[in-house]
Amino acid sequence: MTNAIEVQHLTKIYGQNQRGVTPVLAVDHISFCVRQGETFGFLGPNGAGKTTTINMLTTLIPPTDGAATVMGLDIVRDAYGVREAIGIVPEISNIYEEYSAWNNLMFTARLYGVPAGERERRAEELLTVFALWEKRGVISAGFSKGMKRRLCLAMGLMHRPQVLFLDEPTSGLDVQSVLVIRKIIQSLQEQGVTIFLTTHNIEEASLACDRVAIIHYGKIAAIDTPENLKATFRGMQSVEVAFAAGAEEVGGLAQLIGVREARRFGDKWRLYTDSPGQVIPQVVDWARERGMPLAAINTLGPSLEEVFVQITGITPPAQPEGEGRPGKRKRGAG
Amino acid sequence: MNARTLWRRVRHEAERAWIIAEKDIRLYYAKPPVIMWGIALPFFMFLSWSVGRNRPVGSLIPGLVAITVFFTASSIGPVVIPWEKRARTFERLLTAPVSLSAILLGKTLAGVIFGMAVAVLPILVGVIALGAHVTDPSALLLGSLLAAGAFASLGILFSTIPGQNVGAVMMPATLIRWPLLFISGLFVPLSSLAWWGRALAYLSPLTYANDIVQQAMGGAGYFHPAVNLAALAAFWAVFLVAGLRLHEIGRRKGI
Repeated sequence: MTNAIEVQHLTKIYGQNQRGVTPVLAVDHISFCVRQGETFGFLGPNGAGKTTTINMLTTLIPPTDGAATVMGLDIVRDAYGVREAIGIVPEISNIYEEYSAWNNLMFTARLYGVPAGERERRAEELLTVFALWEKRGVISAGFSKGMKRRLCLAMGLMHRPQVLFLDEPTSGLDVQSVLVIRKIIQSLQEQGVTIFLTTHNIEEASLACDRVAIIHYGKIAAIDTPENLKATFRGMQSVEVAFAAGAEEVGGLAQLIGVREARRFGDKWRLYTDSPGQVIPQVVDWARERGMPLAAINTLGPSLEEVFVQITGITPPAQPEGEGRPGKRKRGAG
Repeated sequence: MNARTLWRRVRHEAERAWIIAEKDIRLYYAKPPVIMWGIALPFFMFLSWSVGRNRPVGSLIPGLVAITVFFTASSIGPVVIPWEKRARTFERLLTAPVSLSAILLGKTLAGVIFGMAVAVLPILVGVIALGAHVTDPSALLLGSLLAAGAFASLGILFSTIPGQNVGAVMMPATLIRWPLLFISGLFVPLSSLAWWGRALAYLSPLTYANDIVQQAMGGAGYFHPAVNLAALAAFWAVFLVAGLRLHEIGRRKGI
């Protein structure tokens, strides 16, 4: 399988050689590749360099250093060809609000040179898929945020791009729009469209992406499949135990062999360990000896969110006890 | 790039420029800032200038035509581009398969058509009701076209003023446009200006626009018509190239 996107030492410094301006290194010699047909997630906190990277790959701004190709075309020398091959859905839905949904699609089709005979058929198909057909003649200024987002995505797909750049596609949307967009992303994946996705929604990236890169301070901090990233942080595994009688007075669990730390979350205890297989039989024996029937026992892997926090060192906002949301790997004995 | 590929590319770019111009015409001509800065302002300025002057109103029409083309054509760029930058639709154009030159040419075309269309109104009113005459229609048409092109390109140059707020761009643009009115032979004929005044007038595209319209409507000109037309064409090219260059610099800086 060939690469749809290849990035080598891509760098962007804002304010370089500008008098009175302190240069800002936004993207620092990043290298990665995205295979054809792959859905690639780009995660990072605000200011990490995600948007700058997208802006360079979509030819909006030139890189300061390094090189990148999209579908084999250089983003600087063959910018024109790159633009023909890509579709872009930015974080802010940049539709023409004075135009109706239909006219927005017709304008986009003409701008991208979609043949006249195909424009209307394609627009009808997209408006139907995005649940906007009934509103096709309505001026889009009155659309909800979700409808604008769906229209923006439809505009990005009008010319059947080979690579689609999605910047925070479902951020802040209503449930209907989120479901429609997720369904479309799934359908595009099935059609073999390469998707480059940035998102703050780590679980969404975990579900939708074949691979994920975590960018922090302009550098790629980690890049792998979501499951491999989680597996890298084996020390963050835990065994979660719930007793039928509740979670009172079971602090002795922390003394079991292999348990690093025991923490209570609501009516459950979470035992942090590098070796869940060693801990589970001990827990079962410990409960039997004390006549405390087990209600549930699960092993938990680190969530992508925990991996992200571990890599970037960013502390998530404090959550009330009992609202932890670890990723569930497999269900054990109950 | 061989000749055939080059021709296809040129045709493709020209088509895209027209598509962008058409979109701007449909979306932005009726926007309040365009109406205010492009139509209302020259109209009221003309009223304040003409009322009480001891001259037949018909003789003031060529000046009004020049002012109208000047203000209307130069209003599209500094209104539409900041507007589109704020709505991020300018970004949509920049990431489409079309060059920055074609995008700016499209914006210029929208300004040219706007300027010429609005200028028809004072010409019609002048000819039908106020006794003005068009003595050289081809000079009027060509002169207005080149003037509108020069002024629309000047608008593109103004639109490089950093800012996504129409007012933030329009105010400095107006500060430059207004003084041009006073050094372009509109209020005081060029022949009556001091040498330094004439030297300044030569630098203003409005001087040549006013002069060619005066000649086309039966007035006395200061320059030969060919000089006026050549100067306006040169201003068009210089402003457009300068605007393109500054937009490219702004884009590199991420503005």
